[in-house]
Amino acid sequence: MNQAKFRRFLARNSYLFALLLLVVVVLINYSRQDNLFEPSVLNRNIRVFLPLVILAAGQAIVIIGGGIDLSVGAMVSLCNALLVTWITPETAGGDILLAITLVALVGMAAGLLNGIAVAYLRLQPIVTTYATSFIFAGLALTILPRPGGELPRDMTRLYRRLIEVDAFGNIPIIQDIPILREIPPAFIVIAIVLLLWAFVRQTRLVQYIYAAGDNAEAAYTTGIPVQRIRLGTYVISGFFSAMAALALTMSLGSGSPTSGDAMTLDSIVAVVLGGTRLRGGQGGIAGAMMGVVILGVIRNIISFYDVPTWSQTLVDALIILIALAGPGLVRYISDLIRRYRLQGGRAA
Amino acid sequence: MKKRLLVLVLVLVLAFSGIASAQESYTIGVSNNFVGSEWRTQMVKQIEDAAAEIEELYGIEIELVIESTDTDVSGQVQQIQNLLNRGVDAIIVNPGDQTGLNLAIEEATDEGVIVIAVDQEIGAEGALNVVIDQKEWAKISMEWLAEELGGEGNIVLIEGFVGHPANEARMAGVEEVLAEYPDIEVIGRESGMWDQATGQQVMSDFLASLTDIDGVWTQDGMAQGAMTAIMTADLENPPIAVGEARASFLQTWNETLMENPDFATIGVVNPPGIGASGLRVAIELLRGAELNEDALSGPFGNTLYVPIPYAVTNDNLEDVYEAQNIGEAAGSYTLDGIITQEGAIKLIAGEELTEMDVTPDVGEPEVEGMDMGMDEEAEESSSD
Repeated sequence: MNQAKFRRFLARNSYLFALLLLVVVVLINYSRQDNLFEPSVLNRNIRVFLPLVILAAGQAIVIIGGGIDLSVGAMVSLCNALLVTWITPETAGGDILLAITLVALVGMAAGLLNGIAVAYLRLQPIVTTYATSFIFAGLALTILPRPGGELPRDMTRLYRRLIEVDAFGNIPIIQDIPILREIPPAFIVIAIVLLLWAFVRQTRLVQYIYAAGDNAEAAYTTGIPVQRIRLGTYVISGFFSAMAALALTMSLGSGSPTSGDAMTLDSIVAVVLGGTRLRGGQGGIAGAMMGVVILGVIRNIISFYDVPTWSQTLVDALIILIALAGPGLVRYISDLIRRYRLQGGRAA
Repeated sequence: MKKRLLVLVLVLVLAFSGIASAQESYTIGVSNNFVGSEWRTQMVKQIEDAAAEIEELYGIEIELVIESTDTDVSGQVQQIQNLLNRGVDAIIVNPGDQTGLNLAIEEATDEGVIVIAVDQEIGAEGALNVVIDQKEWAKISMEWLAEELGGEGNIVLIEGFVGHPANEARMAGVEEVLAEYPDIEVIGRESGMWDQATGQQVMSDFLASLTDIDGVWTQDGMAQGAMTAIMTADLENPPIAVGEARASFLQTWNETLMENPDFATIGVVNPPGIGASGLRVAIELLRGAELNEDALSGPFGNTLYVPIPYAVTNDNLEDVYEAQNIGEAAGSYTLDGIITQEGAIKLIAGEELTEMDVTPDVGEPEVEGMDMGMDEEAEESSSD
């Protein structure tokens, strides 16, 4: 493969660096925690990551479309507050589904508000979504002033318990792999999201999102409905925020009016870690989802490597910074090498 | 060079075989979700000191695994899960949410891990709370403020993190006292997020927008900021403000008294050493002490209350100042109170604790001449 082809391959598969990083951090983690791949341990980890995994997927779509959404955390808080208000331990199955549907609609409505402001009123995405985040956070506080609430036990169990699989029951080798016999529910959710993405990735609509994010004017002149596409990305982000809130609520079993607030910046860091650049038009959701797992595993590493208490926050931040700088550093060094070679060539 | 390496290897081998042969050893996890406060720093430090002391006392091995980062509820759940994955025997947690950690904690107790929530009470099944009665704690200073105001006037409240269990308990205590003083009106209530700078900001805003503040009720961490805001405003009739039991505050207090003998405030000790107290209880339980179910109380029926150490007022400021050498102390030091190992045994058995069972600091002898003993405090709060 020649260099130009290789570069194009990298650009099209922007998640490759994230994948490499993920393998590295998981191995570092595993070197200190030999029970990492036990189903129960894996389950404990991944079910904590899942809300942010979903959130980052939504954030990635907005960023690919040329925007950014600083209100995702507040939308999670709002939806979390609504879920524990509408669902109590006595709520029946049908009503639970109704509540989840309503919450998904609320998330999409919140995204619609963002989308209208950004796409049609032409307000700056950063400022707009920062402002709307206070609306959503304020609503969350009004709905649930004090943390509390409780979900039905069956609902939290569904989220927390491993799913036993009999399908591979008698196939040799496979039956000895524990994780194929007991699957964390979060894996199934992640698989569904990724499959859906792979399915829609080549559709015209998703291509429009990339085009709108890459060069809005050019996209507009070629007849792509840029405004509607932008609006759509925010609505999708609102829906993903609602789903993240559902995962968070099932994970914690309770609600808090500020539960999602800290997730906003993490979701953006994860998107960038995943190889999607903030200027839009490029990237994908798989990388963003890996980015979340990387962030989580870094925290595990800090724990298992006995980083002294007083420097845990510092080490956490430094590792993330290095990870973020990684692709840039690689590019910088390879440029240096090339320039050096070129000069060498001229001298000879 | 090679020789040195060999020696090093030998020492390491010896050290490891030493660990392996130790007869009794416990791994204790600590989960702290808030690093931005000196109070929490002292809490973690006291746990480390207490662990070293207990090791010596019982001749056992204690491995501390400390998870301490600024994080949200999910992050603290991850902290607890990591501790579980490391196979700890007990977890000391300062819970950052009233209900959000319950499922993670219940999973731990299901696996036979002893979980002790310190500082803040939670209702997780199987967990044991080792805390001071935060509600009573708040009532002491609120009661004091109400008396100082002669039972009437306008006050503002600066509270901590909304939703953190301790803040909720305290505000409930404040409201209980206020119910007895109908002529005291709350004209402002805002969160200072247990942070000195934020406390100062909130108080400045209050002073700018409200002209008739007679009193200020606030909590530890923020009182110093509120006091600075009041002093900066240089008012003719500054409001009476509740203080805190941190060295820097006591130092300011002492200086102010020299200029203005009428100045009055109160600092009720909220001991950061509660984490160390929790560790002592955990060790006793691990070593087989039987928990007396009758000793449990609190809103969830799973709490062992450690006595509130004492309150500093103008009456005893001088004594405390001298006894604890506050003039020389680092400003960040908070007056403390940790139960002794003997105290932990008594607490678990449901026996009454005396003055002797609480030390002002780990490893330091009982300070003589402190006339604000536990018993007095207990009587005071039970008469409320």
